[in-house]
Amino acid sequence: MTVAAAKAARPGLDAPFTKYALSSAYDEMFSPDGTVRAHYRTLHTALAALPPEELYRRQQACELSFLHQGITFTVYSDKQATERIIPTDLIPRLITADEWAHIEKGLKQRIHALNLFLKDIYNDGRVLKDGLIPRSMIYGSKHYRREMRGLSVPHDAYVNVCGTDLIRCENGRFAVLEDNLRVPSGVSYMLTGRDVVRRAFPDLFQAMRVRPIDQYPRELLATLRSLVPFHEDASIAVLTPGIFNSAFFEHAFLARQMGVELVEGRDLLVNDNVVYARTTSGLKRIDVIYRRIDDDFIDPLIFRGDSALGVPGLFNAYRAGNVVIANALGTGVADDKAIYTYVPRLIRYYLSEEPILDQIDTFRCREKNSLSHVLANLDTLVVKAVGESGGYGMLVGPHATKAQRENFAEKIKADPENYIAQPTIQLSTAPTFVEGGIEARHIDLRPFILHGEETRLVPGAFTRVALKRGSLVVNSSQGGGSKDTWVIGDGA
Amino acid sequence: MFYSIRHVTRFRYSSPVRESVMELRMQPRSEGPQSLRSFQISTNPRAQLYAYTDHAGNAVYHFNVLRAHEELRIEAQAVVEIFRTQPLPEAADTLEWDRYNVYNLNDDHFDLIEPSRYTEFSPALKAFMAEHGLDQPKGDPLSALKALNHTIYESFEYVPGVTQVHSLIDHALEIRRGVCQDFAHIMIAVVRKWGVPARYVSGYLYHRPRSDGKRERSAQSADATHAWVEAYMPSLGWIGFDPTNDVLADERHIRAAVGRDYADVPPARGVLKGVAESELAIAVSVEPTSAPIRHEDFLRIARPMATPKPTPSMPERLYHQQQQQQQ
Repeated sequence: MTVAAAKAARPGLDAPFTKYALSSAYDEMFSPDGTVRAHYRTLHTALAALPPEELYRRQQACELSFLHQGITFTVYSDKQATERIIPTDLIPRLITADEWAHIEKGLKQRIHALNLFLKDIYNDGRVLKDGLIPRSMIYGSKHYRREMRGLSVPHDAYVNVCGTDLIRCENGRFAVLEDNLRVPSGVSYMLTGRDVVRRAFPDLFQAMRVRPIDQYPRELLATLRSLVPFHEDASIAVLTPGIFNSAFFEHAFLARQMGVELVEGRDLLVNDNVVYARTTSGLKRIDVIYRRIDDDFIDPLIFRGDSALGVPGLFNAYRAGNVVIANALGTGVADDKAIYTYVPRLIRYYLSEEPILDQIDTFRCREKNSLSHVLANLDTLVVKAVGESGGYGMLVGPHATKAQRENFAEKIKADPENYIAQPTIQLSTAPTFVEGGIEARHIDLRPFILHGEETRLVPGAFTRVALKRGSLVVNSSQGGGSKDTWVIGDGA
Repeated sequence: MFYSIRHVTRFRYSSPVRESVMELRMQPRSEGPQSLRSFQISTNPRAQLYAYTDHAGNAVYHFNVLRAHEELRIEAQAVVEIFRTQPLPEAADTLEWDRYNVYNLNDDHFDLIEPSRYTEFSPALKAFMAEHGLDQPKGDPLSALKALNHTIYESFEYVPGVTQVHSLIDHALEIRRGVCQDFAHIMIAVVRKWGVPARYVSGYLYHRPRSDGKRERSAQSADATHAWVEAYMPSLGWIGFDPTNDVLADERHIRAAVGRDYADVPPARGVLKGVAESELAIAVSVEPTSAPIRHEDFLRIARPMATPKPTPSMPERLYHQQQQQQQ
C-alpha cells in the first residue's frame, strides 16, 4: 500500500494530472499536500492507469450517447445554438456515506422548516408577528401569492420537489448556497448522466458500491400519489410549458419514467371546477399536476392574463380541492435570496434545533450598514438580485470589469431591497476531463428532496461543473456542465 | 336606506368562442353599516356557478361555458340596506400618527401599506406629491387625508375614455385627466407612501338628485359602477374617501369588493378560446327601493298547525300531509 501511495500520480506533475492545479479551494480528490483523499484512491488509480486516448474515447462515447438520447438544454441568451447537450464530464464526483448522511439530515431539516414557514406566512403569520422577518419582505415580494392565504395543502407540504444547491467551502464543509422551491430542474441529468458514466467505468462502479438512484421516478410518483386519498387510482400529469422550454427534455423524461401523461396547458381544461385532460378517448380527470410552469403563467384567469401556457380556471379547481398542484403555488416567497439569510433563524424558530448545514454569510443590501459595505467592496463580492434564479441578474465582482461594477452599483443604489451580496466563495474543485487531460474545475451539488406524506432523498445529486478554467458560474443556463455524483457505500 | 342594484354585463363575439371561464366580484359586501338583503346572479348561456370568499373577504363567483357561444350575458341583482352612520369628527388628534404601530395594525393592514402594481411610487407620483406639498402629511391623519382627497379632486379633470382599464397612474398624472379608477389609485399610492394602510373599493354609487342642481362628476359616467379609497385610522377604523367627487364615502356608496388595487377586484374577468372580435356592454342601475318584504309578512298561513295525536306511523303520514293542496 505504501508503495502504491508513493507511486500515485501527483497533481501538476504526473500524467494524466500534469495540468491539475490545486488552488485555495478545497479539492475533492487531492489534499492540499497533493496526496489522494482516501475515498478517491480507487478512482485515482483507475484514471492514472488509463491512457489519455482511452479517456478521450470514453468521453466521446458519453457525448454521443447524450446526443442520441436527445438529452438537451436550451440556452436562452446564446445567439449561436439554442438547444445543446449539457456537457457531461466523464469523471464521477464522489461523496462518502458519512458526508451523505450529514447532507441528507441537514436537507430534511431545512425543507421541514421551510414548509412550516410557508404554512405560517399563508395562514397565521406568527413569524411576522414575532418580528423574526420584516413584513415588507413578504408583502413586498413578487412571489407572495395572496390567493394562497388560508388555503390548506395536503400534509401541509407546500414544497414537494426541492432542489437545493450546496457547495463545499474551503474548510471542506458543505454549505447551502440556495434553495430552489419553485420548479427546480436537473434531476433528469442526474439520472441520465448515471447511465452513461456507469457504462464508461463498469468495474469501478461495481467495486465502489455506488448507491443506486434509478428509483427516483418511482419515489417522485409515490410522493405525488401521497398528496391525494386513494393514491393508487390517482391520475397524474406533468404540466410543461412546451417544447421550447429549456427543460422540456426533463419534463418528457420524467413523465415517461413515471408512466404518466405529459401535458401542455392547452391539453387541459377546467369544467365545473374539475380539471380534465383532452385525450384521444375523450376527457380524463386529472387529480395531481406536477407542474413545471411558474406561478405567474399557470392560470391566466388569476395570474398573468397574457399567459398562453396555463390553464384558465385551474386555480379555482385547486382552491376547491379538486386537484393538487405540486409544488404548491407561492413557494417562491421562501426561496427568495433575501429570505435565505433568515433560514437558520427559521430552523431554530420552528424546530427548536440548530441548523445542521452551514450557509454562506450574506449581506442584505436593504440594511444601511450592509449596503455601504457592499458598495465599497464590490470587487470582492458576488451580488445577486433576490427574486432571480438561474444565474441571471448577478455580478461576480472579482471577474467583472470596472464599468460592469459601476453599472451594477447604480442598480443596487436604485433598489437596495432587491439585492444581497456574498463573499466570493471558492467552490470546491474536482477532477474534470478537459482538452485531453484531467484538470481541476469548480463544482457544486444539487440534491433533490421529495416531500409529501414523508420526506425522501435518493442518494445522488446533479453536480454542476464550471467548464471554463477558474470560472465559478456553474448554472446550466450559463453554459455549465454536469458530473455524475457517486454516493459510495459504507466501507467502500 | 335600501337600494336595488341591477348590473348587466354582455359580451358579444364576432364568431363563436368556447371555453369561457369567468370570475365575478359583484356581490355587495355585508359588513358595517351595509347589509346585503338579497343577491342573485344568472348567466346566459346557463352555467353552474361556484362561489368562494377570497382572502380580502370578497364574495367571488365563477363559472365556465364549455360549448361554443357568440354571446355571454351576466345579470346580477342585489338589494342592500345601508344604515346612516355617526358623522366623523372634524379632525383626529395628531397623536393618531403614533398609533400606526404593531399593536394597532394587523397583517392585513401591513399588506396594504406595500405598493402594488397600480399604486407604484413612480417618479411622476413623486413629482405630483412635491408639486402639491404632499411629501409629508399635514396635521392629523384625518385632516391630511381629507385635504389629499380635495387636492386630487382639484388637480384632475374627470374625462371618461382618456385612460384605459389597465392604465398605470403615470398616464393620468401626465395628462391630469382620468376617471375614478385613476384617482383612487393615485390617492392610494400617496396614502401608502405616508405609511397609512389604504385599499381600493369597487362598488356602486347612487347619484342622488341634488337640490343645488349640481351633479357629481362621476354621474357623467355611463353607468353607476364606481371606485374609491379606504384608508385605515387606528382609532376610527376604515374610512372611505371619494376623490372623484370630493366627498367622504357615505350611505350612497355601496361597497362590492376591496383589494390592493383594481387588479384585485375587477367586477368581471375572464378568459376564453377563439379568434373573434368582442364587444362589451354594461348597464348598471342603482335605485332607492322600499324595504324588501320579510318572509314572515309575505307569507299567508294557508293551514294553521294542528297538533296530531302521535301514532306509530307518524313520520310517513306527516310527509303526505305536507303535500300542498292545489287550489
